[in-house]
This record gives sequence, structure tokens and C-alpha cells, in this order.
Amino acid sequence: MDYFFGLKQKKLIQTKNISINYGSLILKFPEINLNSGDQLLIIGNSGSGKTSLLNILGGLISPNTGTVLLNDINLMSLSKNKVDNFRGKNIGFVFQTPHFIKSLTVNENLKLSQYLVSEINQSRINILLEKVGLYNLKDSNIQNLSEGEKQRISIIRALINQPSILLADEPTSALDDESCNNVIDILTNLSNENSATLIIVTHDKRLKEKFSNQIDLNDF
Amino acid sequence: MIFKLAWKNISSRPLSTGLSIVLLSSSIMVIVLATLTINQMKLKFNDNANKIDLVIGAKGSRLQLVLCNVFHIDYPTGNIFMEDVEFLTKHPFVRNAVPISLGDAYQQHRIIGTNKNFISEIYKATLEKGELFNKSSEVVIGSNVAKKLNLGNSFIGSHGVGESLHQHEDFKYLVVGVLKPTGEIIDELIITSLESIWNVHHDEYKKGSFDLKTPEEHDLHQSEDEAEHSSHKKEITALLVNYNSPRAKFSIPGIINKKNSLMSADPAIEIKQLIDLIQPAVNILYFLALFIFGLSLFSIIITLVNSMKDRKYEIVMMRVGGASVKIIFISVILEGLYIGFLGSIIGLVLGHSLMEIMASFINFKYHYKFSGFVFDQFEIVLILITILIGMIAAIFPAVVAYKFDIAKVLKNKI
Repeated sequence: MDYFFGLKQKKLIQTKNISINYGSLILKFPEINLNSGDQLLIIGNSGSGKTSLLNILGGLISPNTGTVLLNDINLMSLSKNKVDNFRGKNIGFVFQTPHFIKSLTVNENLKLSQYLVSEINQSRINILLEKVGLYNLKDSNIQNLSEGEKQRISIIRALINQPSILLADEPTSALDDESCNNVIDILTNLSNENSATLIIVTHDKRLKEKFSNQIDLNDF
Repeated sequence: MIFKLAWKNISSRPLSTGLSIVLLSSSIMVIVLATLTINQMKLKFNDNANKIDLVIGAKGSRLQLVLCNVFHIDYPTGNIFMEDVEFLTKHPFVRNAVPISLGDAYQQHRIIGTNKNFISEIYKATLEKGELFNKSSEVVIGSNVAKKLNLGNSFIGSHGVGESLHQHEDFKYLVVGVLKPTGEIIDELIITSLESIWNVHHDEYKKGSFDLKTPEEHDLHQSEDEAEHSSHKKEITALLVNYNSPRAKFSIPGIINKKNSLMSADPAIEIKQLIDLIQPAVNILYFLALFIFGLSLFSIIITLVNSMKDRKYEIVMMRVGGASVKIIFISVILEGLYIGFLGSIIGLVLGHSLMEIMASFINFKYHYKFSGFVFDQFEIVLILITILIGMIAAIFPAVVAYKFDIAKVLKNKI
């Protein structure tokens, strides 16, 4: 992946002075500088703007001030279509509640994600399904899966197009301890294997001891 | 993949998709049915009407005269004396003047007393096997009658042109010839000489079997009654005339209509009037079809908009996963296309099937061959228009879909 992003010493993610306004409320965010393959946990209570920060990093919303450089590309300067395309190729998302196309099977959902930005690669789907231990559910309807299983599939979906950045928004909040550990292990291992930079935002205290690199929005 | 997605999206909601398709296909069905019926009717009527330039019969309704003697549907208006119209057979403007006498039937097939010109000149029919009738009681049958009777068979005619309980049991007809199929009404007829008809009814009269007749049949034979008393004046039901010269059109009807007992009718004019009479009913059908079509359009829009709202998160997830608004838009339009396609195809199949069922009923009752297996170019246009309408109906839902604000949708739920 390194060649894709040019010189290694360049930062993959760089933010500067970003803030967003909700009416009279102005949320300011700390600077984030991450290299390829780094992992970062952002902790914050509800209302601290952690989801907003993640959405800004993923190009889903624009900040009122500041810049976001992803591999030296300024997201705010791209057109809507280009942002969609850039996001599809370079950024994977995992949300608290995973959503899929209900009318499709597990396999079809993953194929659709590949189809939307690149080409269908069944062997990659198979390998990832094996890794999370859900290969046997490949042809099940997505609605028949448990929440924990769906969350694991959503991690595969986020990584299916080999993005350089994986953004996870409260990926474990809805899960019990066992599933929580399982999902975090999969998230960290798979992003390592795919050399993707992982950013998790959460208020889930269980994750605190699992990451060395942390930002607490409550302190900011 | 996107085709599959659109397909799965509509097929996973069978009830609401089904409703849209049912509405759409019903309207298509009505359109197809109305168009097939009116087209085939015009075709058949005009075909048969063009065979004969003028029908001369007893006074009554002109349309009835034509329907009875050209299309063999309605009851006769009454009888006329052969001698009153005989002059036409020698008229210079007349190419053909063929007398026919009705009154009996065999299993819904009318027995027509006439001469050989009826077969060779008017319908240009030829023999498949056997020969033309020579003696009284010999008959030639049309190709569809040949499904029930065969060469050498003899049968008893029943009295009246429709179904009747009374049969002429002592008078047997013998099939001596079978005609090739022509696609015309003659395929449904049993043709014999005028003498046959006169003989059978002459005998009947002597036995006093008039008591058994229905009122219409009684009317039909009232003049026959008089004929017996006025020493064998020959009667016919109608005279079918083909012109020799265009001038005939202006002179002959005038001559006929001056005579008290006679009336003439031009089949082409009567049929045009009949179709003009039916046209408003057909137009109402079209209007109804258009109304259902409008409803189905509405239903498609509502179905898809609801579907979009239910699939809000799916759509947003696709956007997050890199799907452009273009892809989202196209996939929704595709859903409209599928619904339009299915609706039009199902509608066509239903329309044709229903036409075929109706046709067998009409064939049985009126001996008119309608068919559900006739296809028209307009149907291709109909399919294309319906698909287009389906896609147009999907535009609004598609706009709803691509206007979802990703961040807002995510914020509401997550």
C-alpha cells in the first residue's frame, strides 16, 4: 500500500483547526496526525462531537473551519461525486448498528460493496468470511444474523475494497462483553493485516485498555 | 449487480410490488381486450359486409336484415315473395342476385336454402371433398360444420334459426359436399337448395305443426301461411345482390324501397353504423383503462417512495460505501422499469387469454371466429409506453432516495 500513498514519511491523515457549529454551539477538535497503519481510539461522552469528527474525517459532512488532508488530498476541495468515489475506495466505515441491503444475502451484500467501487472478487470475500468465522453463513439472508454476526460482517464490508482508512463509530456499544472483545480483535487484526489506519470513536470504557494511542474529547 | 439489486428490492416486497403490477396489468388487459375486440370485429364485419352490396328482404330493421342475412346472427325480418324480386336477376346493373331462405338449423349451424351462386359467386368457396347439392335434401357444409358432420352423414334439422325443441323428424338432409375453409361466415353454414327448405316446411305445414313455434318463428312463417293459400307463391327470406356497375348504388335501392313489402339495406353502411354505435362503449372501456392506469402510476410512486423510506439506511450505507447518487438513482429507476415491464407483459398475457376465452364463447354463440392469438404492433408500443411510464413514476422516488442526507440519517439512528 505504501507505493499508493507515495513517500512513507508523509502523514496519511492530517487535520488542522477543524470545528463545527450546531447553532450557537461550536465544537472544536484536536489535531489528528496519523501514519499509515496507526490505530487511534477517540473517547468522548455523548454530545462531545465524536461522531461529527468521524463524519468529517470520512467526508460525510464538512467542517465549518479547518482542513482535512487525507494523503495530502483536501476532501473539502472535491466535488460531491468525487468525495463519494474517494470514500468508497479509501475509507471503510463501521457503525454502531450495522445496516445492510435486507433483500440480499451476506455474500450479495459484500459483492455489491465491491461492485460499487471496483470489481467483484469472490475469493477475497471468501477469505475474509473465513477469517471472522462466518463462511458458513455466506448464503444466508442478512436479516437472519445476530447483531454480533452482523457487526463482524460490517467490518468485512468496510475492509472489502482494501481501504487505507477504517473508521468505526461505537462499534461495540450494542454488544455484550464477549462479542465486544471479538469485534475489537477482528477490527484491530484485520486493519493490521490490510495495513489500514484504524480510528475508533466510542464512549465504551471497555476499550480504554486496548489501545495505547488515545484522544479524550472530554479533556479537550 | 445493479440489475440484480433492483430486482431483489422489488421481489422482496411482494405485496406492494404485486399491487402495483396488478393495477398496471389490469389496465393493460382492458386496453388489449377492447382493442382486439373492436379491431377483429371491424375486420370480420367489413370482410363479410364487402362480399355483398345490397340485401333485400321484408320490411323491418335494416340492421336486423343485414345481421340476419349477411352475418347470420339475428332473426329474419320476415319473408318476401320470390316473384317480387325476380326482376333483379336480369337487371343490367346486377352481377349477382342470390336468393336465400332461412328457417332451420343443425346444432347452431344455420341451414341456408339458396343456389350454387351463393357458394361460387358470393363467397368464392371451393369444395374440399364431395360435390355440390343437386337434389332436394342434399347439403354442402362449411369447414367448421365438418367438425360435427361428415360426407355421407344424414341429419335432421331443427326448426328455427336458434335452438329449438322441434325437429323435422321425417325430413333428413344428406351431406354430399364439404367446403374448404374460407375464414368467412360460410364456414359455419349448411347450404342446400331452396327446394329443400320449401319441401321441409311444406310438409310441416300440412301436419299443422305451427303450434310448436315460438312467436318469432311464427312471424317468420306467417307469410308462408298466406303463400300456401295463394297457390304456391315461392318465398325467400332475402335476396343478396352484387352490383355490376357503380350506378346501381343509386338506382336499385330506390326501386326496392318503393315497393311496399320490400326493404333494402347496404351491409357496409349498416355495419359502419353498428360500429359507430359500439364505439362509445369501447371509448368508455379505454377511459376506464386509462383511469386504472393512472391509479397504477400513483401506486408505483407510493410503493417506491415507501420502499425508499424503509430502505433509508440501506441507501445511506450504499452511499457511505462509495455508491454515487447516479447509481442510487439508476437502481430506483430500474425498479420502475421492472414493474412496468412485468405489468405490461402480465397485462398482455391476461388480455389475450381473456380474449381467447371470450372468443370461444362468441364462436359458440354467434359463429364468429374471434381469437386471442392475434397480435398487433400497437402491443409493442404499449409495452414500451408502460415501461417508460414505470420509469417516469420512479423518478420522484429516485430523487427522494438520492436526496437523503447521509450524516442526518446516520445521526437519527446511530
